[in-house]
Order: sequence, then C-alpha cells, then structure tokens
Amino acid sequence: MKLLTRMRRFLATLIHRSDIELDMDEELRSHIHERAVHLEQLGLPRAEAERRARIEFGSYERLKEECRGALGMYPFEAVVQDVRFGIRMLRKTPAFTIIAVLTLAFGIGANTAIFSLVNSVMLQSLPVRDPGQLVILRWSARNRPNHLGISSYGDCERFSSAGTDQLGGCSFSYPLFKEIRTQENLFSSVMAFAGPAQLDLSGNGQASMVQGELVSGNYFQTLGVSAVLGRTLEPADEEPRADGVAVLNYRYWQTAFGGSEAVIGKVIRLNGNPFTIVGVSEPRFTRLTPGKSQDLWITLQHADSINLRWGGQSMTDPAGWWLTIAGRLKTEMPRAQTQAAISLLFRNQTLHGEKPNWKTADDPIITLLPAQKGLVGLRQNFGEPLNLLAAAVAIILLIACANVAGLMLARAAAREREMAVRLALGARRRRVIQQLLTESVLLSLAGAALGILLAYWGVGALWAFLSANGYSSLEINPRPDVSVLLFTICVAVLAGIGFGLAPAFRGSAVKVTHRLAANTGNISALTSAPNRRFGLRGSLVIVQVALSVVVLIGATLLTRALEKLHSVAVGFDTRNILLFSIDPTLAGYKEDGIRDLYDDLDRRLASLPGVTSVSYSSDVLLNGGLWTSGLHVEGQSEKSTVAVQMLAVGPGFFETMRIPLAIGRTFAPADLSSAQPVAIVNQAFVRGFAQSRYPIGLHIGGDDPKDIQYEIIGVVGDTKYESVRGDFAPTAYLLLKDKGATFALRTALTPAMLIPSVRKALKDVDDNLPVFGVKTQAEAINRYLLNERMVTGLLALFGVLGLVLSCIGLYGLLSYNVALRTREIGIRMALGARRRDALFMIIREALILIMFGSMAGTVGAFVVTRFLQSLLFNIRPTDPVTFVAVCALLVLVGLLASLAPARRATRVEPVVALRYE
Amino acid sequence: MTEQAQLLPGTLDLLILKAVSLGPLHGYGVLLRIEQISGKTLLIEQGALYPALFRLVRQGFLKARWGTSDNNRRAKFYELTSPGRKRLREEAEGWNRLASAVACVLGAQPEEV
Repeated sequence: MKLLTRMRRFLATLIHRSDIELDMDEELRSHIHERAVHLEQLGLPRAEAERRARIEFGSYERLKEECRGALGMYPFEAVVQDVRFGIRMLRKTPAFTIIAVLTLAFGIGANTAIFSLVNSVMLQSLPVRDPGQLVILRWSARNRPNHLGISSYGDCERFSSAGTDQLGGCSFSYPLFKEIRTQENLFSSVMAFAGPAQLDLSGNGQASMVQGELVSGNYFQTLGVSAVLGRTLEPADEEPRADGVAVLNYRYWQTAFGGSEAVIGKVIRLNGNPFTIVGVSEPRFTRLTPGKSQDLWITLQHADSINLRWGGQSMTDPAGWWLTIAGRLKTEMPRAQTQAAISLLFRNQTLHGEKPNWKTADDPIITLLPAQKGLVGLRQNFGEPLNLLAAAVAIILLIACANVAGLMLARAAAREREMAVRLALGARRRRVIQQLLTESVLLSLAGAALGILLAYWGVGALWAFLSANGYSSLEINPRPDVSVLLFTICVAVLAGIGFGLAPAFRGSAVKVTHRLAANTGNISALTSAPNRRFGLRGSLVIVQVALSVVVLIGATLLTRALEKLHSVAVGFDTRNILLFSIDPTLAGYKEDGIRDLYDDLDRRLASLPGVTSVSYSSDVLLNGGLWTSGLHVEGQSEKSTVAVQMLAVGPGFFETMRIPLAIGRTFAPADLSSAQPVAIVNQAFVRGFAQSRYPIGLHIGGDDPKDIQYEIIGVVGDTKYESVRGDFAPTAYLLLKDKGATFALRTALTPAMLIPSVRKALKDVDDNLPVFGVKTQAEAINRYLLNERMVTGLLALFGVLGLVLSCIGLYGLLSYNVALRTREIGIRMALGARRRDALFMIIREALILIMFGSMAGTVGAFVVTRFLQSLLFNIRPTDPVTFVAVCALLVLVGLLASLAPARRATRVEPVVALRYE
Repeated sequence: MTEQAQLLPGTLDLLILKAVSLGPLHGYGVLLRIEQISGKTLLIEQGALYPALFRLVRQGFLKARWGTSDNNRRAKFYELTSPGRKRLREEAEGWNRLASAVACVLGAQPEEV
C-alpha cells in the first residue's frame, strides 16, 4: 500500500518534473529576493543587499538537489545523470573499458553458460500442463525382490543411497498398471511408459534405428500435450486388436520427414510391423525425463509383437517390471491417501501373488514422487559434474571481479582530483559513491551483454560435445531462456556492485584540500603508495592468484587422473578397432539365419582391404554395458552361485581383441554347432573360484543340474569390462548364437576410413538391416569417460582463464606502481642505486604477492579438492606434486607478467623523473 | 547580539508547523517569524528550510499555493492541513514532555536523590 502510493507519487513527479523544477526555481528566487529587500530595508545599498542575500543562501544547485530529494524526485534524475556521465567517462578511457568489459564478459559468460546447462538439466519445469500435479510411483523395500526381471531406462534414481538397506526403483508390471488404472478413485488420470527402445524403422528411405517410446493410450491426455499435426495417441489405440499407430516427435518429424504434412497416414515398419503415422506432437513437448529423447511414440500393447522382452516372458507377465507409472493427483484427495491406497494394491500383488516377490517383513511400499523431482534422467549422471562446474565458474567470476576492482582502483586514484573538485563544489559523499557504482554496474552490464553472446556460443559447443559423446542424443534445451537472462542480469548487477564498492568508497573519501593543493597531481606517489604492505589492490591480486591456484590445482588433478585412466592396462588392444552394431532379431532373423548371416558378414568384412581380423560380441568391452549372471561352478556346494560377468562372443574374438590365451584353447568355428556347450573364463575367475583345481574341463552353468552346463576349454587374460576404474572381475565367455551383436574390426588403417566400405558390405548382405553405434573402440572408451573429460576440459579452460586474468591484474598493479614511483626510483638512482636494484624492487614486490596468493590458494585447494574425489583415479585429492607444480607455474607466469613493468622501472632516467614534478 | 541556541535535530519540523499554524507564510516569512518569536535566539539555516518545507508538503502536513508577497512579488504560501494540525499537537506535546523531563533532571538537588 505504502509502496503503491510512493510509486504513484514518483510517477507523478516524473510526469510533471519540468513544472516542478520551474516552480522550485521561482520559489527559491523569490526567497532570495525577499531577503535582499529585507536587507535593503535594514540599510544596505541595493547591490550589496542582493550580493549578501545570494552568499547567505549558499550553494543554489546543491539546495535544489536536496529539495528534489525531499520531493522524491531524486532517484530518476540522479540515475539518468549518472548513466550519461558514466558512459562519457568510460568512453574517455577506452583501453580500461575494453579490458574491463572483456574480463567481465568472460566471467559472466562462463557463469551464464554453465547456468543454462544447470537450468536445462535441473531446473526447467516439465513441458506439460500443470507439472505440479503429476507424480510418479516409486517402490521401496528392505530386500531385493525375487522372481523378477526388472528393466529401467534411467527415468528415476536407481537403488537408493548406499549405507541404508532400503532398495527401490520405479519400474512396475503391466498387471499392476492395469489394476491402478481400473481404480478410478485414485488418480484423475494415470499413464505408463517405457523406453525408448531402439527400433528398426523401414519404409522411409534406408532402414534406420529410431528411439521409440512405448506408452499407454492416455499418455498425451494425461500430460496435457496436444498434436501440432494430426492427432495424438488415444486410449482406443491401446486396445489389443487396434492397428499400429505412431505419433512423431516434432524434432524428428522435422529432421527425418522434412516437416512434410503428407506424413499423416504414411505407413512405416518398426521391427517389421506396420505402423500408421497419425500425428506429430507439439514442439514444446521436447522431453518428459531430462535428457532422454524420443523420435516417436507407439502404444504399449505392441511390446510383444515388435519383440521387446523387458524383464518378463510377455508384456502381461507380472514378473516383468518395465513400466514407469505417472499419474495426475485428484485435487480433492490428499497425496498421502492415494499413496496408501496404491501401496495396498502393490502389497497385494507382490506379497500374495502366485510367486511372492517379497516376504511381509520386507515391507514393500509405494511412494508418490513429484514428477519434476522424481524423473531424474540426466541429472543422475550430470548433477555432480554440473555442481562442480558451477562452483568453478563462480570462482572465475570472483577472479574477474577482483581484476576489474583492481583496475577501477587504479582509475579511482587517477580520478582523485575529479572527485575532490566534485566534493568541493558541494556534491555529497553518497552522491559520489552512487556515481561510481553506476559506472561499475554499467561496465558489468556491458560485460553481461557480451557474456551472453559468449555463453550462447559456448553452450552450443558444449551441447554438441555432449550429444556427440553421449550414449544417445541429448534432449535438452540449453539455449538461454528468460530465467537464464534474469540470472545473468542479477549476476552482472551484483558483480558490478561487488567490484565497484571498494573503489567507490575509496574515491569518495578523498581529502579535498590535499588533492586540490597538489597541482601536479602526483602527490600520492609520496603519500599513499609505499607506506602499506599490500594495499587494497595488492590484496585483490593476492585473491586472484589464490583463486586461480584453486582452479588450476583442480584442473591439474583431473587432467592427471584422466591421463591415468587412459593409460590403464585394460587387458586388450584398444587401438584401431572399429565397432558397429546390428540386431538381426529385429529384422526377423531366427537362430540359423543369424549364424549364417554372421558367418557371411565375417567373411565379407575380413576380405575388405585394411581389415586385419573380424569378430563380434553381445556387448562391447568398456562401452557402458555389463551383463552379469549367477553361475554355479562344478565342485562347489549344491545350489550355490557366484556372480560372474558374462560376454557372448563369436569365434576369433580373443584374437581380434588381442586378449592373450593363458591355457587351453579359444573358441573354434566348430564349437558353434557342437553338442557340448563350451565356455572360456578369465584368470580372475580362476583366482576366485577354481584356485586349487585345474580349470580346463570344469563345468559352469545354472544352479539346477538340468540347466545347460558349459565346459571350460580355455583361460584368457583379464580385461576391464564395465569400467576402467574397478579391479579385474571374474568373467565367463560363451558363444554368441542368437542375439544382436556388435562387430569389431581390427584394422591396419585409421578405423574411421573403413566406415563407407563397411556400410556398403552390410547393404550388400541385407538392405533392411539397420546399422547403429558405429564408432571406434577408443571413442567408446572416451564416451564412457564423458564426465571426466567434460569437467577436466572445462576446468582446464577456466584455470587458464583465471591464470590470464590474474596475470593481467598483476601486470596492471605493477605497471601502475612503477608509474607512481617513477619519482622515487629517480631519486634512488640519483642517490646511487643501480638499475638492477630497481628491477629487483619491482620483481620482489611481484614475488611477495604471488607467494601469498599461492599459499592462500594451496590452503583453499586442500579444503576444496576432495569434492573432485569421484572423478579422480589413482591420484589423491591432495597430491603434493600437483600442488607444488601449480604453485611453481604461477610463480613463473607471475614473474613473466612482472618483467615488463620491472624493465620499465630500470629505464627511469633520474633527471627526467625529477624534472617531471 | 543575542546568543543563539543550537537547534536540536528534529525540532525544525515542529517550529515550521508552529510558525505556519499562526497564518499562511511564504518560505522567507517562516524564517522571519521563527526568528522574531524566539527573539532571535533561534536562527534557521536557509539551506535547511526548503527541503524541510517540501518534505512536509510531501507528507501532507502542509499545503502550498501561489500568492503575492508584501513586496508585490509572486511567492509560495504554506498553510497547515488538518493532519498537519494534528501532527503539530502531537509534536508539541512530545516536546513539552521532553523539555519538562529535562528541566526536572537539571533542577534536581542532591538531597532529593
């Protein structure tokens, strides 16, 4: 209320300001006139009376300004005036302005770039109607469920944090979803989805792999997402006998179908089954789970016909948990009540079914999580690195601010006379501070404008890097939006005030008489510079050096860790391997057909020029995938199993990957058709489970004697499988017979050069067989190390940026000091000091600043680097070599920065310096 | 010349309100009246007067209109509004309480304590 009236008055004064000004002018003049008349009546001559009246009145302009303040006109008038004056002042010193704006642009740009990533991954709300009402289901229990196949696509956080024995997930069976859907009193609407699955799409040019999400018929209605063309999926599409229909994602429609409207009604084949395209989703619906992309949506009931077995035997199998369930809460029903009702349903199915998944004591329950929070997706992997980067860019901004504050202080010193004149003419201290702050905010806003451009470009590059290196393309929208712009403006204004405060207070605290008395304006050389150890500017340089040390130490630690990760002996030769995947089961191949196809491909690919050998496997080593199984080892107690990493491979796999054979033999083509199933194990397996026995001839297999038992025919060297970081784990290799495979080509040339001929060979064999995941083994490993590489690269970049900024700061300070002390140096030289003394004087000053900065930075890094722990490898966060090396680097670079000013000091001619005054 | 008293902070508004309450005045008139009533003990600084006047107008305690001064010059005259009158009463009471309390303290004799 009070604010409103004040605003209104402020606006009124704005509108009538010229009237008010005239009014005020006339009133004050009339006052002087009255006084003059009064004085005249007291007997003074007229002219003298008028003069006395004016003198008594004092500073007319100042009074007017105070009156404006009393009238509430002050802010606007002052701001406009300050901005105009500020721009004029900044234009007068272009070098200063350019350096300051560039520095700030880097600092603010880096923050904007990282914040837009944080924003798109962590903060942006779901692009659906009323995202606050949407919840997802999550189960938790005290124990692992039995008799289950669980598959999840990273929609929500996997098992809860280590340390607690609570387990949880958010995949559910189709029967449970059906049950929940029939209970109409629970949700206003409830839907389920799974995927995206890699589907083989044909009927639109050459066959390709698409990301297809399987969703319930009411998926779009529940989310409140509509179609931009045609229609979305409807509940009727989910009927068992309904024709296959698909809705395209807007972006996929644009890229794969060129945004053509003729796409409606077109029939495409997904894994060989016909689907009619009925619509395209609206463009704002880019994702549900952060970072996951879908090319198209089809309804759930096709899961079986397109050959997706997620966990269970068929989609309706209660033992197959594969659906993420999301619902809209009823407004009149409290969440806790819905949650309790669903928990009851869930317990009924899991505790008292045909094959109970849990005992009652395991206490399985359902929690309803807000979808915004519960659908983590990308956040699970990028959350931590993004926080690290956010901290790093905040440090960069601090360095930039300290740097500009140093520049401003130097400038404030040069402007002391100006300030003195203003104070002498009656400007108030507050007014001068406000003026100086306006200038710094102007600077930082200019920096922000440029920074947004930098960020725009940087985010684009970063996004491209992440998309090219992620396992699937990333569906995030990292372009700066309104909240990013607001963030940037806030950062800029805060930074402007931050770095402007010290100079402003310094500037306004000028001793008027001192300044005006010193005609030549160089009195500070004698009074202010040398009498304090560092001074404010020196401290700012120390802060910059310290912060740079922190960032650089972090970057160096990560770089060394990455280097170590790359040089880990993984057990096979990662160089010159080209990988690509095919899945003939999706194109309708059966077991025999697959074997013939792989044989055929093997031969054709091996005959390509440049290919040394060829093999294939179910998974790729060090590609993020892992298949583990519980195996019974012959000779161990009945029914006991051990956890073993499994990999199905083709004959010749060990030769192609150059995994050494220890004893026995490797797979031969004849083993594929032999009646005796065979296996090969690695040395870790022997160490773990067959230590006292000769491994060849032992049998491994399921814990039921009726399960297939594989005879071990050979032992091979250890390899890393899932991760470069862990130890070698027991692994068993079986023959790959009836699954999709990733082919590995050992090449004599650069692997990428072979891609066209490989594609042609595949096309010759079967045009309907889509190829995906073409990459080199080295790329696969790089993808796996994505987070490490991203954080390391960016941190290194920020480290160098910090280093450069600190050097500029140091250089600026020293140059300024040399200029200030020209006279002092001249006197010293006139008194017999040598040039070398002058050189050392300046270098010593630089060294002291760097030393103090490095020490502070080292202490800071000790505290901070432990947050890098999860990204490090074989290196301690407090690695002394790194700490010493970074400090040495700073000393070196700092000395280089101080060289130019120091040499300038040696060239001071005593005669010139003294005449100067 | 009579000795001049230092003006306590916050009393300027009170004095202006009182001066104006005796009849509409222009700015210089306010100065003169305060000087005259106080027997030249209280001299108002010219620089302080106008900001105070404008503030009181802004707060709604005074209103201003243009008129003609004794010297036949256009001048702005201030008069009290009803909130101003109320304010004057309150301020005056407050001041009197303070003044008598201070006087009481200053007049205290050793045996009374």
